[in-house]
Amino acid sequence: MAFLEWLQGTWVGVLVAESLWGYPLLETIHSIGMAMMIGSLGLINLRVLGYKADLPLLGVRELLPLAWLGFTLNALSGTLLFTSDAVYFFDKWTFRIKMVLIVLGGINAALLGRRVFAEAAAPGAPAVPVALSTKWIAATSLIFWLGAVCAGRLIAYGP
Amino acid sequence: MEFLVWLENTWIANEIRTVAWLYPAFETGHYIGLSLLVGGIMLIDLRVLGFARSLPLKSMIGLLPFVWVGFLINVTTGSLLFIYGATNFGTNNAFFLKMSFMVLAGLNALAFDVSVRRSGGAWVAADEPPPLVKGFATASLVFWLCVVTTGRWMAYV
Repeated sequence: MAFLEWLQGTWVGVLVAESLWGYPLLETIHSIGMAMMIGSLGLINLRVLGYKADLPLLGVRELLPLAWLGFTLNALSGTLLFTSDAVYFFDKWTFRIKMVLIVLGGINAALLGRRVFAEAAAPGAPAVPVALSTKWIAATSLIFWLGAVCAGRLIAYGP
Repeated sequence: MEFLVWLENTWIANEIRTVAWLYPAFETGHYIGLSLLVGGIMLIDLRVLGFARSLPLKSMIGLLPFVWVGFLINVTTGSLLFIYGATNFGTNNAFFLKMSFMVLAGLNALAFDVSVRRSGGAWVAADEPPPLVKGFATASLVFWLCVVTTGRWMAYV
């Protein structure tokens, strides 16, 4: 708790909390980063599940830079928003659930990257259909990320 | 203004005020819709501009149904959120800007659609969008990001 209190007392935390533009600007960036991430990761996961089969499975890797850009924007803007009121946010269950969902989503993304992209992209690898267990990873990813969006929005309202 | 007052006192607006979880639920729905709508449009526009070339242009333009689902979710949730605070939102400059950018984005999308149809899809199949179409794609990215920005700013002006 002492750390959180220190954090929101730093000049960054105070700047975000008290400047006229800081908070809305960061929230706007957070919304745009969200659209980038959910758009690109959503399509990758749906493709793994078999939707839009006319997109080459390995080709959707090219969407990853957009997902990373969105993730970076949101990690940065989210951290700055957090510093403005660290004790309040950390105390919220909606915030904690959101963080857990992001970690789970990240683990799933890493698993998916290894299973689908690294293995299938190995030289001479046969074009095998996506395994059912891999589809489960994609399906739960969608749930984790959409859950993170919901939990994030509800920080302002929920416990 | 009378109309806004009337809207704000309709049965549905009162219901949203009475049932505490409705407003947060609609807002959350609005964010999910935003992700589908702007996420989908971004993928299409960026693909037209040359991003992720190993994904066929035609298939990516085929993401439009997604965009429409997001749009419908957001028109519905947005209207409900508006009714709840009609006198506030209806006099909010950020809201007027947001609606203006949506009209621009809509006209731009129409122009994009017309140019796809006029060309008979030739540039789509050849994966060679003409400069004019790339212009529409760029404008679309700008307009939709402005919609998100002004929408977010409604809470602050």
